Amino acid sequence: MEIEFQRVGKKYDSGQEALSQVSFHLQQGEMAFLTGHSGAGKSTLLKLMMMIERQSSGNILVDGGDLRNLSKKMVPEHRRRVGVVFQNHQLLFDRSVFHNVALPLQVSGADHAQIGKRVRAALDKVGLLGKEKYNPMALSGGEQQRIGIARAVVNKPQLLLADEPTGNLDPKLSAEIMNLFQEFNHVGVTVLVASHDLALVARMRHRVLTLNQGRMVNDGGFS
Amino acid sequence: MSARPNTNKAPQRGATRQANQPVNTQKPNQKAKRQPFNLSQHLRQHQAVLMESVVRLMNYPMASFMTLMVIAIALSLPGGLYVMLKNVQSVTDQWEQQSVISLYLFSELEDTQALALSHQISARDDVRSVSYVSKEEGLRYFEQVSGYEQILSSLPENPLPIVLQVIPMETVQLDTLDILESLRIELEEQEQVEYAELDAQWLQRLASFLSFGERFVYALSSLLVIAVLLIVGNTIRMAVESRRDEVLVMKLVGATDAYIRRPFLYMGFWFGVLGGLCACICILAVSFWVSGPAMQLIDLYHSDFQLTSFSASEVVVCLTISAIIGTLGAWIAVNKHISDIELQ
Repeated sequence: MEIEFQRVGKKYDSGQEALSQVSFHLQQGEMAFLTGHSGAGKSTLLKLMMMIERQSSGNILVDGGDLRNLSKKMVPEHRRRVGVVFQNHQLLFDRSVFHNVALPLQVSGADHAQIGKRVRAALDKVGLLGKEKYNPMALSGGEQQRIGIARAVVNKPQLLLADEPTGNLDPKLSAEIMNLFQEFNHVGVTVLVASHDLALVARMRHRVLTLNQGRMVNDGGFS
Repeated sequence: MSARPNTNKAPQRGATRQANQPVNTQKPNQKAKRQPFNLSQHLRQHQAVLMESVVRLMNYPMASFMTLMVIAIALSLPGGLYVMLKNVQSVTDQWEQQSVISLYLFSELEDTQALALSHQISARDDVRSVSYVSKEEGLRYFEQVSGYEQILSSLPENPLPIVLQVIPMETVQLDTLDILESLRIELEEQEQVEYAELDAQWLQRLASFLSFGERFVYALSSLLVIAVLLIVGNTIRMAVESRRDEVLVMKLVGATDAYIRRPFLYMGFWFGVLGGLCACICILAVSFWVSGPAMQLIDLYHSDFQLTSFSASEVVVCLTISAIIGTLGAWIAVNKHISDIELQ
């Protein structure tokens, strides 16, 4: 999936200006990091891509089409094409690992056999195949994050977004998670990871977008 | 959605904007996901959600049970009143009584004219017979029943009119009241008749009492239906609230509002159906319980009247109505609350 931001601004109702004049272009199959201090606008930028928020100005083009043209009814369909991973997992603890990962497939109406096959494939990729019957609560932080990733990729999205996916993890687990994202990128998924872990980002040797107080201050190679 | 300033106000060169314009009118590529409508898949999903919503009810057995009981009681009240009304109506339907229309003729009328009228009326198809009560007969009868013999005999002349007692073909029943009443009016319109009276006042009173009862049942039913809507609505609102996290995650992974709504609507459906079922059981149980004393009472009146309760078709109607009320209550609550839960 190809993403283009054209002078995008976002001003919240409270008057806070989260983003202003942000422009960048993410090619199909590209992987990039989004860095900046907390409050720099990283989460807002991801929310605009997920259509959780709408921009106040500028255009966001997805595969050449403007997100502004999508009606409220078409938002769910857009979200099915985007996988998203959060720092706080957003897992449901009233069901097993399997059913957490299966959620995006159930929601899009996949049939039973297909759900089983694809959930196991996704869990296999993140190394949790043996734990599908567990409750996510019984697993470690790193494992929970990997459930979140499995859920984000189970629908074979064309774009994978991650908001501080390694926020609570130690360096070794963080590197493992980042490698996972890289693997998905290698099979053609466009990946954008927001992270403030500069050392880790530098080691990954990908394009880095840096936000500072809502403005894009650096768009280039790893620093 | 928050108010967003017009993009055109952003400082930008006209040329750049124009270059973007053709691109902006396109919609993002949807080729991958527009799935064709698949009926069997759709039905399978509905079936799964239908069963899942039962499981959800079972997850909170006590709360679900109490909600069900409230719904059942609220529904069994109008249902019970309906059964009672139905029985009273059928009792009065079986109650046949010879009807009499008394025609009081003008007092200056001659006996011969009165007799002619009497023959004319008895020739009618809707009249069984007419009996002629002369002024003298009337006076004698009046003396007997009133005991004012002396006063009456001191009168210079007989003040009573000639009376024709018309016995119509129809007996007095609730559904013949209108026919008898129109016959009475028709007879009263005869120029010799001063006044016509239908001896069915008690039945007319009963009829108006029954129509009052009917209205009362309707009004009470409407109120209780609203109560059930509110009960189901409130229960579903709490269910939505307790599954807030799930709703958020489902929205995040691309669930449509219809998909999120569905299990809650089925929950309302089950509340309606099961509440209606409990109400039917209550009504049948109470009818059975009262039937003993009621039959004794009926025996005392030597009537062959049969007590009736809910028939099978009435049970079906009751369940259908309660299912609709339950689903509707859920619909109202869910529509409001699911859109309130937004990703942030």
